[in-house]
Amino acid sequence: MDPFSSPPLSGSAEGPSNEVVMDKVKQQLAQAYAEEFFSTVRDKCFTKCVTKPSTSLSGSESSCISRCVERYIEATGIISRAVITSLPR
Amino acid sequence: MDASHASELQYFLEQEKQKAVLNELVGKLTDVCWDKCITGTPGSKFSSGESSCLTNCAQRFLETSSLILRRFQSLQQ
Repeated sequence: MDPFSSPPLSGSAEGPSNEVVMDKVKQQLAQAYAEEFFSTVRDKCFTKCVTKPSTSLSGSESSCISRCVERYIEATGIISRAVITSLPR
Repeated sequence: MDASHASELQYFLEQEKQKAVLNELVGKLTDVCWDKCITGTPGSKFSSGESSCLTNCAQRFLETSSLILRRFQSLQQ
């Protein structure tokens, strides 16, 4: 289904309104960002926590992974603030 | 599409592009600085050493970036 198609009520004869297009673009950007973030966190935390893969994830491996996810999200916030406050005015 | 609609979209795309560039920078920096600063097993909170390392890392990276840019500019003169 065309992600830009809209019901006749909210569109014009020329196609979807700007608002519909902008919303769709924002949605797709957010989705792409979320997928990349997931991928990064998964790779980082697997590397950190699963050093000797065995036949199942141990309790300590699972809790390490949970903490790792929380810390990585926190690290993203710390870096984000450092970058924004360093931006030239 | 008339001119005002086109320019609204153009402005919107410019804004989203800048946001994406910023997100990419933050993503890359977090990746690099995590590896430099979080050397052991992740704990239930960051030590003050770890969190200041992350902040320092981001700031030093940006300074490095400016420094290299200035070097390139002076090399071209």
